[in-house]
Amino acid sequence: MVNPIIRVEEVDKEYGKGKNTVAALKDINLEIAPGEFIAVVGPSGCGKSTLLHVMAGLEQPSSGRILLDGVDVTLISERDLPKVRAEKIGFVFQSFLLIEDLTSYENVEAVLWPSDELKKESQESMALEVLREVDMLERRDHRPSQLSGGEQQRVAIARALVNDPPILFCDEPTGNLDSKTGETIMKMIAKLNREKKMTVVLVTHNEELTKYAKRIIRMRDGAVTSDR
Amino acid sequence: MNFRILLKSIKFAFRAKKRVFFFIIVYAVLIIWVAKSQAIPALGIPSWIMALIVSTVYAILIAQFRRRDIAILKCLSWRNSEILLLLVGEVVLVSLSAFLLIFQVSVEILGLVAYFEVIGPNTILAIIQDLITVPAVDLGMTMLVIVAFQIPGLLLAQYRAMNIPPMRALREE
Repeated sequence: MVNPIIRVEEVDKEYGKGKNTVAALKDINLEIAPGEFIAVVGPSGCGKSTLLHVMAGLEQPSSGRILLDGVDVTLISERDLPKVRAEKIGFVFQSFLLIEDLTSYENVEAVLWPSDELKKESQESMALEVLREVDMLERRDHRPSQLSGGEQQRVAIARALVNDPPILFCDEPTGNLDSKTGETIMKMIAKLNREKKMTVVLVTHNEELTKYAKRIIRMRDGAVTSDR
Repeated sequence: MNFRILLKSIKFAFRAKKRVFFFIIVYAVLIIWVAKSQAIPALGIPSWIMALIVSTVYAILIAQFRRRDIAILKCLSWRNSEILLLLVGEVVLVSLSAFLLIFQVSVEILGLVAYFEVIGPNTILAIIQDLITVPAVDLGMTMLVIVAFQIPGLLLAQYRAMNIPPMRALREE
């Protein structure tokens, strides 16, 4: 295997203390190569979303190591973690997570506002370019409340792509969409994997979506039960 | 300092019209009271203490109202210092707008008093002038006091914003 872009080593994640401890992840070991499209599937509560959050550095594991492109995110301080996430990761969430007071364009561009290196003009052109890619340029001045679920998810995808990260984490990206719109969104994600060679980690309980992935990881009760 | 975020935050604040307009009025009333060094009627609290309380509460309220947005921005890799700028933008907008409102109203009232050649303390215009108009120097000094009062509030707001984990955005949906 080429150098993995994501390496998960002996990761455990527990919630609660003492008698109330719940093990969400148990001894997870994974290696994901650049450009792979992986689907993590399993029933609700099996720990697949927790695995994604831990891999993305949104939550710290109780033990073990997570390496993103060679960087151990479990050793990075809270202060420096955002920079690593900004450079390496794009997120697409089930509930879109768009900011209601911002337009589609501003939601996408907001990812770039903290950047000191990019000039205003560059930020604007990058945001417009990704909105064009997801076919949302015409709706750039609309607020999330004025968009359909599918359109909101396309804006969320544009936002995930705007800083050109090598990894795309998708947490139930079609969960709030009808089947036809969901298929359009999944084709868009598959195209990104194929054409931009983005590493895609898709978390879903929907077996139907595994057809887009080249590798399927099954989970149950916080543990990986199959990986093929 | 990232001035782009600061400018965007002012634009962002304008979208929360109801809250912003309400606090512009509250700040305007506070500026008048603080400038005139009067106690708050019925409560008997010195106006500067009330200004300190309101400024602090407002800064905390912004962090509270923007909780979801802050969590989303943290998911999008914003740092705490950048999120603080977002809060500062709204506070700056409200303070400055209240200052300009009082300035404009004072000028208008003084203009009317001069125009109608109001003489004597018991005319309506004279009473309004006495109640609302703030002399320029007092207004400037009060603005500085109000700005200084924002600092503890903003520090508290930053502390609250720092403690909002990005995961909150996911859990609340």
